[in-house]
Amino acid sequence: MDQQSQIIVLCGKGGVGKTTVSLALGLKEASLGRRVVIVSSHPLAELAISVSLEGLAARSPVAARNLFVVHLDAREMLQEIVEKHFPIPAVARTILNSSIFRNLIEVAPGLKEFYFLARLQQLAERKSTVPGTPDYDVLIWDAPASGHFLTTLRAARAFETFLTGPLAAAGAELDRFFSHSENLKIIPVTSLEEMAITETIEMSESLERDFNLRPEALVLNMVSPLVTARAEDVAALHIDSHSSVALRFAVERGIRERALGEEVRASVDAPQIPIPRIREWKGDLDLLDQVSRWITLPAVA
Amino acid sequence: MDHTSGGGMKIIVYLGTGGVGKTSVAAATALAMARQGVKAMVLTTDPSLRLRTALRLEDGLAEQRVPLDGDCPGELWAGLLDVRATLDEAVRLYAKPASVDRILNHQIYGTIANSLSGMQELMAVERIDQLRLRGFDHLVIDTAPSRHAFEILDKPALFADFSSSKKVKLIGRTYRFVERLGLDTIGRNALDIYSRAESILGVNLVRQILDFYSIFYPIAEGYGRRAEHTVAMLRDPAITEFRVVTTPQKAIRDAGFFSDALTERNYSIGALCVNRAWLHPMPDHIPAGLAGEVLDWYRSVSDAHREAVWQLREAYGDRVREIQVFAELEQDVDGVGALERLARQMHVDAPLQAV
Repeated sequence: MDQQSQIIVLCGKGGVGKTTVSLALGLKEASLGRRVVIVSSHPLAELAISVSLEGLAARSPVAARNLFVVHLDAREMLQEIVEKHFPIPAVARTILNSSIFRNLIEVAPGLKEFYFLARLQQLAERKSTVPGTPDYDVLIWDAPASGHFLTTLRAARAFETFLTGPLAAAGAELDRFFSHSENLKIIPVTSLEEMAITETIEMSESLERDFNLRPEALVLNMVSPLVTARAEDVAALHIDSHSSVALRFAVERGIRERALGEEVRASVDAPQIPIPRIREWKGDLDLLDQVSRWITLPAVA
Repeated sequence: MDHTSGGGMKIIVYLGTGGVGKTSVAAATALAMARQGVKAMVLTTDPSLRLRTALRLEDGLAEQRVPLDGDCPGELWAGLLDVRATLDEAVRLYAKPASVDRILNHQIYGTIANSLSGMQELMAVERIDQLRLRGFDHLVIDTAPSRHAFEILDKPALFADFSSSKKVKLIGRTYRFVERLGLDTIGRNALDIYSRAESILGVNLVRQILDFYSIFYPIAEGYGRRAEHTVAMLRDPAITEFRVVTTPQKAIRDAGFFSDALTERNYSIGALCVNRAWLHPMPDHIPAGLAGEVLDWYRSVSDAHREAVWQLREAYGDRVREIQVFAELEQDVDGVGALERLARQMHVDAPLQAV
């Protein structure tokens, strides 16, 4: 198995903290001296990342030196491909400025996803081009929300819509890479809430059925202290109508989270990594630091 | 703009990232409107199973009146924003009878309807028009989460532009004509850009896209006109209000992002809704043991939420019409009762009085 071209994929429902967990994991690995690349395609994630990493160089020079964040923008990727195919700048410009061309590109099914995957594969393989001296040690994909993530993976297979032309060849290559399950290390992130759990279960089923991919681990983000408490301590909690509303709310929620954790364990066969809801933090970097202490991925090289 | 064209229509568009409870807030808003005596429709993209049950939305049903307890002067309706169903309806309504089947069975139609990002938003615009024709005048729209949310504003123009392009029409027709005559090369020399597109996308795909557009054209053309009309309504602040739903943790960041993105498009945020805030008062006595630990956990989260709301008011208080804060419900929304609890936290009169 080629460890070098593996992509760690943090995926799951929107709002469960994929970007936070990606950054925390990336920072942890980078501060240990490994060269880390985090790839995202979401403008909001890009903003969040740049805000979160402010002041990193002062706080952790080692991590700052080793952490790279790559934001892949569909428009820039398309521009790149046109420029590559038409090396004369004036021609490339004419094509890019033509509304017919722009609109054809816009309606070509799955084209943006297709290019995203091509770049991701390129990055992954750059790791292993020179044996012993990889550009990167760890490649993390902060994936889009479940539905769009699955659509993106399917784009690797959509190359039959591109029967001729350079995309057809690139498509066959992409399909080979992304249908090789050892190239992707899937780590879903979820919160212990009904909608997120339902989506995590559905996504895991779809990943296994359609792509032969199984989660390596499941991150349970922002959990209540009751999730990690011993069952007998939870059973001994006494709540009645005299208890304060805050306590009733917090205990009911904790007990519901425990039940959802069991529910997902029954359907998604992967070790669970609970991360508590962080109580207090001083700035984003401190938050990421605290989160990172809970992520121990035995699977990460 | 001319008010008669909107027919007294009110539209509230909720934007927000995933996981903030946008769908519940949208549904509760429509419910609060119904309680005030109007016929309100919430259009939602991807409700949870519980919310689907709460709204009695069944698969295959485009929309449904939601039965309400007690004496409600208005009506609550809920509709699924089903891309395929909406597009199919448009094809049946606007295509020439002879080409309906050809369009519905075309490969490009399938991929466009199912996989094109932003199609959901495009179809929201189409659906607003269909609902307007059927007498719904208070619409609450729950946009899809993620980065596509703005395509409700961007895509219609793009699509209309593409479909009304004379060149596309010409290319579509010429291509089929040239193919039939077998004059492949002559046709291509004349269509420079088109052949360059072919060299990147492949002959087959471009051919399919153009073939599709040549039969889809009448619908796209009509779509362009309707989209123009609907986009004008979305642009009219007397008709439409944009609201951003967020959670305390993400409030400042989301407000900044959506405010910038809307400003860039010459829209403005009407209201910021901070959902799922933990605001229960803390008891005087903190018990020992695990209960104490749980309460301490609650307090720290709750303090952070209050702090975030305070920061949001400082930064955006005078830039939006209103900042609303909704307490997190004890359970996921599992029935109209839970929606009522959320709706009771809302003041929906403001946008209605704004006219």
